[in-house]
Amino acid sequence: MSPEGTSTDFTEEDIKRAGDRRRVHILRTGKGGTRSLKLLWLLIGPGILVMLGENDGPSMISYAQTGASYGVGFFLPFIAVTFAMAFVIQEMTVRLGAATKRGHAELIYARFGRFWGFFAMADLVFGNLLTLVTEFIAVRAGLGFFGVPPAIAVLGALLVVVAVVLTRRYWTWERITLGFAIFNLIFVPVALLAHPVSSQVVRAFFTWGPLPGGVTAGFILLVMSNIGATVTPWMLFFQQSAVVDKGLTTADIRHGRIDTAIGAVLAAVAAIATVLATAPLFAHHVDASNLEGAAFAQALVPYVGNVGATLFAIGIFEAGLVAAITISSSSAYAFGEVTGTARSLNSPLREGWLFYAVLIAAAAIAAALVLIPNAPLVLIVLLVNVIAVLAMPPAIVFLMLLVNDREIMGEHANGPMANFFGITVTILLVLAGLIFGMTTIFPHLLPS
Amino acid sequence: MNSNTVIEQQQAALPNPAALWVHEVLEPDQFSTAKQPFGRQALSRRTVILLWGLRVYVVLMVLLVALQTWNAIHSAM
Repeated sequence: MSPEGTSTDFTEEDIKRAGDRRRVHILRTGKGGTRSLKLLWLLIGPGILVMLGENDGPSMISYAQTGASYGVGFFLPFIAVTFAMAFVIQEMTVRLGAATKRGHAELIYARFGRFWGFFAMADLVFGNLLTLVTEFIAVRAGLGFFGVPPAIAVLGALLVVVAVVLTRRYWTWERITLGFAIFNLIFVPVALLAHPVSSQVVRAFFTWGPLPGGVTAGFILLVMSNIGATVTPWMLFFQQSAVVDKGLTTADIRHGRIDTAIGAVLAAVAAIATVLATAPLFAHHVDASNLEGAAFAQALVPYVGNVGATLFAIGIFEAGLVAAITISSSSAYAFGEVTGTARSLNSPLREGWLFYAVLIAAAAIAAALVLIPNAPLVLIVLLVNVIAVLAMPPAIVFLMLLVNDREIMGEHANGPMANFFGITVTILLVLAGLIFGMTTIFPHLLPS
Repeated sequence: MNSNTVIEQQQAALPNPAALWVHEVLEPDQFSTAKQPFGRQALSRRTVILLWGLRVYVVLMVLLVALQTWNAIHSAM
């Protein structure tokens, strides 16, 4: 018996998780008018975090570039569709985690073996490292607008990641990160300050136009970048592991879906708001092709004022910070699941030191790379979303194989409709990648 | 048998109140040390071909991205 009088059948991690689940259990068995709202409050988290976490530094820059290059038109409904795609994919991870009580990496290794598991991990590790670098670039750019030196901005953000993680309590980590993530909606007031014309916005959603310049190589690149801004491999690993760490069960799948849908809607609103916020740059023929995070904020001053530009810079900083927290967590979750070691933000230091070490190391390495003089940071920002799109098809195939596996999913396996949407998304991603490949090999195929 | 030993044995057999509530709210597979391992899923030939095809696709695409990056750097210089 441990000093606290607990049985040796379970660990401190289990006790913390049970503490969270007890509140859900009490609400489920209780009565009261606000019960369903309180239950929703307890059960939301992984879905909103993954969606707002995916509105990371490079994603917000991609949306900003989109607005500055194409204004109000095609990309507004397109972005909404990409988040619908993201919801379809991420909802499957909710069911997977709730039904199997296993993380994504653990399931891939268990069901497909080390050989295929290695490939899945290689994609994740490579993608996460690149993406984490871009998150600290965003932190540096956002705080650079306020004159904060790069080293202080990056180290400050790293300290926040460490502090949040070392609460050693999933619930606390989740709520703090949600508190940061909600600031992704800061782009909405910036959009309002840009005074978009409502009729143009509505027309864009109904007509998918205009598309100035038509289909060009630049258009294809932005399409790829916007897709990569909404669906990336780390999202699959993170949300499923978070669902397991949070302790969701099959009884919570409905709330998990609602959580994911809320996240998709909030993230889509923030993304579309960013396009609207930078649309004045297009309208005034400002060349935004070489603008980075802080430079975007500066360029917006004449159109959204100092307040709008300040909010924009804060938004870029927030986007980088939240993604740094969630993506480094996804790396640590995957490591723990694959090595059979601790894999929970509820782990005490004594048992989970390796989990926390990997999480912090992932963030620290990326932070260090950002501070290397003359590192090709702009290039990495441009590439990371494209690489995410390219790495997504194999990740979705593993996901579809797992979520159709009735041996582990039981009655929660995919139905025909879910399979139709999942296969459609996979085909669209492969096509997008192939078109991108063709325009790279044959650059004169499309006007530039 | 010593009566204290009997009492100790009886007390040990009683469920621990802390253990009870944890077991009430967590499902068996949610305990960190009690997860039953899943076995391997047999992959069909078609699935293996698909996975290999996608692997080749990713490698080729990453090479293309590297090529495009190289061209972009050189045209900027």
